[in-house]
Amino acid sequence: MNENSTHTELLIQYLDGELQGEDLNKVRKIIEENASAREELENLRLAKEASKIYGMKTRIGSLHAEMMQELKTPQTGITRKIFQYSLRIAAVIIVLFGLSELYQYITATPEKLFSENYRAFDLHQTRGSSTTSLEDLYEKGDMADLIQEYNQLKSPQAKDCFLAGDAYLNTHRPDMAIEAYTRMEQINKTNNTHFFEEDAEYFLALGYLANNEPKKALPLFEKIHADPGHPYHTAVSTWFIIKVKKSVNRP
Amino acid sequence: MEMKVEFTDFSLIQALRSDANPDEAIRYLYRTQFRMTAAYIKQNSGTEEDAEDIFQEVVLVFIEILKKDKFRGESSISTFLYALTRNIWLNELNKRGKSRLRDEKFEKGKGTTDMDVSHLIADREVKSQLMDIVDKLGETCKKILMAFYFENRAIKEILLNLNYENEQVVRNKKYKCLKQLEQMITGQPNLAKNLKSIL
Repeated sequence: MNENSTHTELLIQYLDGELQGEDLNKVRKIIEENASAREELENLRLAKEASKIYGMKTRIGSLHAEMMQELKTPQTGITRKIFQYSLRIAAVIIVLFGLSELYQYITATPEKLFSENYRAFDLHQTRGSSTTSLEDLYEKGDMADLIQEYNQLKSPQAKDCFLAGDAYLNTHRPDMAIEAYTRMEQINKTNNTHFFEEDAEYFLALGYLANNEPKKALPLFEKIHADPGHPYHTAVSTWFIIKVKKSVNRP
Repeated sequence: MEMKVEFTDFSLIQALRSDANPDEAIRYLYRTQFRMTAAYIKQNSGTEEDAEDIFQEVVLVFIEILKKDKFRGESSISTFLYALTRNIWLNELNKRGKSRLRDEKFEKGKGTTDMDVSHLIADREVKSQLMDIVDKLGETCKKILMAFYFENRAIKEILLNLNYENEQVVRNKKYKCLKQLEQMITGQPNLAKNLKSIL
């Protein structure tokens, strides 16, 4: 190794702060006495600074690509956030719905199930051109007069019994409603007819609920639930059946 | 989930000034400052590509200013970067021969800040030439010099990454690389002279 290269090596070590003691004093002396060594040290310092700047430039360059990808997809970011918020909202709704349903399940009683599901029968669906006086009273909502007139009939028809049954449900006399619907079923059976048969099944089951007899209501609801062609099939969901069962087992 | 680090002006300056890994601080600069730079460049005859190039320069110059303790902290980082952006962009427009446009824009935007950072970016062209020179070094040399001088890695660590026989071989390689770079710089006397005044 010649003198110059030895100088260079020492100068680099000096530049990197690696010298101490005698070596450090030796380099300091060289720098002090030798102009070309001073010049070389200055140029090496430039090279060192250039390496640092180049390193930072390269680092910024590589982060630049990464950050442009992040910054140039703001829509995706917003969409992702909206999606995340939507998921959270949906989760909250599901939890609230679940809690609500759980509460309904826990507090399910036959009376409650009846009042939540009973809707007066829509006579318009079946009304013909000629109407009976019971039908007129039903239309007017005059349930007390309907019941009174029904009780005066010596030979009520199936339809009369059905309307009376609904009038009894409407006026909170489920025991009498059950009797009227059962009578209607008997008439149909005797006459081999099927008037209001499926409607009566559903309302009779509701009558049992209102009369606190869920055990009798359950097979009727299960039959309706099992028959997709039944007009009240959609009104009797699996969850509803579960709640009726719960009310059966309620202490 | 990825954590995005937040900085105050103070902590950002500390992070960029120190020799520790500046990645998170640089990412933060991008997240908080890039859009403002891009808007300014695009409002002043530039393109999105110009904005990206200029912002990289702004970040580099800002870090150099911090490392040299030339940031006086008389304005917020945001205001300072805006002033840097404006100066670097006007400088670029000037280079491209759009001097009339530059003068108009400069006068118009002069009142935005009274900070004069023009002297800090006057050496832009010189540094650009310097980067071109370093770029011509071999890949191994660049790796060793950057690892040692920029990342502050010990010779032992560099040895592990580059698969050399022992530390002395890495030391010798580093010595040769730095000497080579020094000779490439001194091979352009004008550049070397200009560099001495700015580095």
